[in-house]
Amino acid sequence: MKTVFRIVVLAASVASAGCASIGVQPWQRDVLARQDMQLTTDPVEAAIDDHIYFSKEASSGGRGFGGGGCGCN
Amino acid sequence: MSSRRVSRRVTVTRAGDHWQGRFEAMACPCEVLSEAANAGEARRLTQLAATEAWRIEDKFSRYLAGNVVERINTAAGEPVEVDAETAELIEFATTLNRLSDGRFDISSGALRRAWTFDGSDRVPPPAAIAAALRAVGWHRASWTPPLLRLPADMEIDFGGIGKEYAVDRAVAILRERSPVSCLVNFGGDLAVTSAPGSRRAWTVGIEPADAAATRSPARLSLAAGALATSGDTRRYLLRDGVRYGHILDPTTGWPVPHTPRSVTVAADTCTQAGMLSTLAMLEGEGAEAFLAAQGVRYWCYRDPPDRPGTVANSPSDLPQEGISNA
Amino acid sequence: MENDKRAITGALAAATCTLLGTASPQPVQAQEEPDWNFDTGLLYYGEGDNRVQDLSFDVLARRNLLDERSLTLGFTVDSLTGATPTGALPQALPQTFTSPSGRGGYTISAGQLPVDNTFHDTRLAGRVNWQQPLGRLTLINVGATASNEIDYLHLGLNAQLSHDFFKRNTTLSAGAAVARDTVNPIGGAPVPFTQMQAATGGGGGGEDGEGGGVGGPGESKDVTDFMAGITQVLTRNLLVQLNYSYTDSSGYLTDPYKVLSVIDPNTGDGIQLTPGVGLDGPTYLYLYEHRPDTRKQQSLYGQAKYFMDGTVLDLSYRYMTDDWQIHSQTVDLHLKWPLNSTDYLEPHLRFYRQSEAYFYRPSLNDGEPLPDYASADYRLGRFNAFTAGLKYGWTSANGSDMSVRLEWYRQTGKIPRNMLTGDQLLVNNFPDLNALILQFGYRFGR
Repeated sequence: MKTVFRIVVLAASVASAGCASIGVQPWQRDVLARQDMQLTTDPVEAAIDDHIYFSKEASSGGRGFGGGGCGCN
Repeated sequence: MSSRRVSRRVTVTRAGDHWQGRFEAMACPCEVLSEAANAGEARRLTQLAATEAWRIEDKFSRYLAGNVVERINTAAGEPVEVDAETAELIEFATTLNRLSDGRFDISSGALRRAWTFDGSDRVPPPAAIAAALRAVGWHRASWTPPLLRLPADMEIDFGGIGKEYAVDRAVAILRERSPVSCLVNFGGDLAVTSAPGSRRAWTVGIEPADAAATRSPARLSLAAGALATSGDTRRYLLRDGVRYGHILDPTTGWPVPHTPRSVTVAADTCTQAGMLSTLAMLEGEGAEAFLAAQGVRYWCYRDPPDRPGTVANSPSDLPQEGISNA
Repeated sequence: MENDKRAITGALAAATCTLLGTASPQPVQAQEEPDWNFDTGLLYYGEGDNRVQDLSFDVLARRNLLDERSLTLGFTVDSLTGATPTGALPQALPQTFTSPSGRGGYTISAGQLPVDNTFHDTRLAGRVNWQQPLGRLTLINVGATASNEIDYLHLGLNAQLSHDFFKRNTTLSAGAAVARDTVNPIGGAPVPFTQMQAATGGGGGGEDGEGGGVGGPGESKDVTDFMAGITQVLTRNLLVQLNYSYTDSSGYLTDPYKVLSVIDPNTGDGIQLTPGVGLDGPTYLYLYEHRPDTRKQQSLYGQAKYFMDGTVLDLSYRYMTDDWQIHSQTVDLHLKWPLNSTDYLEPHLRFYRQSEAYFYRPSLNDGEPLPDYASADYRLGRFNAFTAGLKYGWTSANGSDMSVRLEWYRQTGKIPRNMLTGDQLLVNNFPDLNALILQFGYRFGR
């Protein structure tokens, strides 16, 4: 548990230090604006998969908040 | 009415994920939305558009002294030599006069003197209309570029094309000077220079003319091209149950009956969109049929016939929408 | 005046070109945005060996308002049938179990994995989310979720805040969710480690069952979630995200329907029972499971989306660890491959590996003191899972998106040898899973 926390803090500080120079200008976001370049392209499919794997495995979530609990696990 | 005392200042503010530059020109609020990197860049772009808008206003406004329009209107029958840009505009107006069978006429301003649109049913006497009609009629003008010769009592007014032309000119200048995507909006007549990078398209709301409309504004994504709107807001006459918009038909001297409250058209340039929306209004009852025949995307808002000035909830009141052929 | 229906657009375009002095301009691209966007999905999930089958229908409706405000409504109806492993082990003789309601029983053949197929449940779930900007670069999202089954009720609230930095190339977000779930097990929540009783054929739970079953006070659990994440645009074509989440569950975490077989530690065979006069079962000794009443999970999730000239690669990795000593790793890969301007194929691969909970064991040993906690639920065990699928999507003439995907999900598990004795070593007791996933998707706007 402590290792995980340390990794997260390190990653966050490395990320924020270099962030100011990484990235694109506002007018270069054409590709990023595409529907299929969104982090969750298909929210219904993602919710269905999250539910299937929550019911059959011991892990859940990661991407965001799930749709809620159920009695399936 | 354009007031020369309106300040010529450009203000720039941040709006969401883009910049908004504002100024006053041609008697309406103007704005330039841009994806500039900072306020300074946004100001530079807005200034370019504003400078062009004020230049066109100063040159072609019929309310200002000392410009080419004043020279033409005070020529008292003598030929006037005009510069290249004015010649292009007159050429365009002539073509449109022909294409519209005389309904679009830059000499029709004189008719306005005979009519008062105050929501009443007062109609000028036939003699007054006839007198006004005598001063109208582009076919009576003599145009041999670069010389324009109007009959002594005729006056021209570029108001019907000036704003849309200014939008297109501003867009051309911005395109030339910067890769940044901009939306140029002069009082509801707008065009984009290029597709924005930060999202798929600029989002524009098209509202029915009445603020109390039951239908929420149509939301449009504009990635290229232009929109122009013709509308008669609250200036109309009501007589014998017929609503007369303030658009006058220069071939009859009368306002066009059964005009829509507003017509918005999407086209490749603001000039084209503006002409199509104006011609549609001139068609009165046949506005939708006309627009459908042109194969362009349009939004036509009408009042229900029995309660002019209000917007009903019935399905028949839904705006007519057109789908482009492409 | 007659309506002039001639098309003048050509002549108008030519006249405009002359006026503006430019070559033909870019054609107009104006598209009316629908007020509502609907996202629907129809799912069929079916496991082999007559296990669970699920049919569900999902709708997500999103109303977009100006200024990035939006309202999202979601609804799911989910119908589950089929059999699910109870945690008991296969035995050399047929086994008779009592069903959860206590009113009947079922028999499993010799050598077969015991599964309980008395369940038919329909779940209804809904959610509401409201999103709006708070200032120029900040977005807030608040929502509520609810889900209802015959024996389970979930109610939850969530909120998330995100803020953009560095020309919106970096987004930091943080969120929290709380939920209260109420369980009303059929037949009542059994006291842990008590015996499965004979079917009574009329009453509610067994005499040791607490809670009173359907209609009784029930059990509850509280779940609190925290999440923090960073999303970063790296290049014009590459976007990455890193999320950390922490989940704290407390309350009734046990599965009221799962049991453990009690075995003879020398032979590995189950302890047989003789049912009472006039009763059918149970024919072996089974004790109800017991899980801790708290669970703290942490997970680290990373995702990258990479655009390669029309093809989109989506790769994600998740590491999860908790105080039940379960560790898991997930690798998920999607590749969207366009066939032409409207159609695409999307192969999908997922790899999952999980280690067992510290209290996971395939059975209990007769004569030994009971542990604090024990569960034979295969979902807390050690297994690998693999998903392979293919999705085909297309855009229809009126602009709506449709898709169909077919996937195969396989779980293969291993019970550590040091947990097995006697005859158990001869048999693979982990209930491997093979499931088919078929889903249709339809997205449109109105």
